[in-house]
Amino acid sequence: MTPLLRVDGLTKRFGGLTAVKNVAFTLEPGEIAGILGPNGAGKTTLFNLLTGFIATDVGTVEFEGRSLIGLAPHRIVNLGLARTFQLCRPFRGMTVIENVSVGCLAPRVRDGGGTAARARHILGQVGLSAKAGIAVDVLPYGDLRRLEIARALATRPKLLLLDEPFAGLGSNEIEPLARLIRKLHAEEGLTILIIEHKLREFMQLVRHVIAMDFGEIIATGPPQEIVRHPRVVEAYIGRTEAPLGVA
Amino acid sequence: MARLDKIGKDAIGVAGVLAVLALAPLVVGSDYFTGILTVCLIYGIWATSWDFMSGLTGRENFGHALFIGTGAYMAAFVDSKFALNPWWGLPAGALVAAAFSLVVGFPTLRLRGPYFALAMLAAATIMQRLTRIFWQYTGGEEGIPGLDTLFDDPLATYYFCLGALVFTTAVLLLLARSSWGTILRAIRGDEAACQAAGINVTFYKIVSLMISAAFAGAGGVLYAYYQQAVTPDVFGVALSITLIIMVYVGGMGTIYGPAGGAILLALLPELLRGLGEYRLWVYSLVLMFILFFTPGGLIAPLWRRVTGSPR
Repeated sequence: MTPLLRVDGLTKRFGGLTAVKNVAFTLEPGEIAGILGPNGAGKTTLFNLLTGFIATDVGTVEFEGRSLIGLAPHRIVNLGLARTFQLCRPFRGMTVIENVSVGCLAPRVRDGGGTAARARHILGQVGLSAKAGIAVDVLPYGDLRRLEIARALATRPKLLLLDEPFAGLGSNEIEPLARLIRKLHAEEGLTILIIEHKLREFMQLVRHVIAMDFGEIIATGPPQEIVRHPRVVEAYIGRTEAPLGVA
Repeated sequence: MARLDKIGKDAIGVAGVLAVLALAPLVVGSDYFTGILTVCLIYGIWATSWDFMSGLTGRENFGHALFIGTGAYMAAFVDSKFALNPWWGLPAGALVAAAFSLVVGFPTLRLRGPYFALAMLAAATIMQRLTRIFWQYTGGEEGIPGLDTLFDDPLATYYFCLGALVFTTAVLLLLARSSWGTILRAIRGDEAACQAAGINVTFYKIVSLMISAAFAGAGGVLYAYYQQAVTPDVFGVALSITLIIMVYVGGMGTIYGPAGGAILLALLPELLRGLGEYRLWVYSLVLMFILFFTPGGLIAPLWRRVTGSPR
């Protein structure tokens, strides 16, 4: 079976800093995986490379066997690879349903027609139906996070990249959102790749973890193993021989 | 029922405005005043066309006069150089203005930042300079006088321009309220997020600029035939800036608002004529008051309040 996403030798330098270094991994269809790493590990840069928002220096990215290198971001979305942003980026001055309908207007889904009905359906999926007509400028933060996901879903992706979907959420908001992500994975058959730097939410959600630090992959494996991996512990807490003695 | 009521009020409002515009020259009954009103309507076409691209996407165009001047000079060339029927000026002016918008928009609208605004300003200024350099063809500072008119009767010219403004506003308003307009407003909100929603942002910006340019160019043609002359002023920075002020007063991004703002501000100096030497003082004060105290503009918010229309 061809992997849905195959990344090999991916490298990006900003001046003297190598933000992403020789990253290689594959994602199978239907997988739910995570990229774990402390701040500055190169996770978001990796997302920006995969989605065409930043030009790649070296390496290959193949989606369903097709190279994504050099494609504009909107072209990549229309192949079925959508993303969310770490900081919510709603279309200010527009309503919730208008925000989602922009995603429904992507050429990939637009030809099917029924834009308004699809937008309403997606709002139902993420639990924002009751707020369809509200201006996003007054939407609470937790709803903005859902809207971010809804807009990506509107493009009917095969692979969804979520950049820190739990960032800034209160403890009572995290579990419902995790439930939504799990539902999208289970019911819609969506392949999902999540960036997080918080451990707990992550472990319960993903089945496979790619751990990064200083732009490199330092470990891969199931979550239970990753949390005990010495290099992951080192990246998070410091050296194992440090006086803290955690390991 | 409430919705029907709102639509009804909107329709009554539109009918009322159209009735006032249709009757105004008849009531006053002077060719001079009809001429002033004709220019007001042409300003309305220009401001509305500016708003379609720049008001909706938030990418300010500081050189809309490039398209206006292109249309006006095309009208002059069609009439005096090519000796064609002046009506050919309308398609020629619109098409060449749209072509020019592609030349400026293609390299600059792909970039973020102020490049587009500055490139438009520069392009209009360069065109103004070119009309002086190639004076053998353009008449230099004097311009090209002695053009034909589309209609001999000033009233016919007025009603044709009124029809043109209604057509422009209706077409652009329909587009702005279609999914095309949704995408343009999304571009205004966040370009990167728009790309992440699978939208080819550059394509929408460039095509919208071409539409905007075509209407502005056609407006330039009407202006040239109304004046029966063109001068390099039609490429001027002053005209571009005046239009932006008219759009702000009308209510940016509403399409119909800028049409009203343009008519109001173009008419105001005439209405204040009785004040004699204080006219410019009062005009400037009124303008400052509007800009400072009604950040969302004057016309569009007023319209919403009167008709109960949501946008």
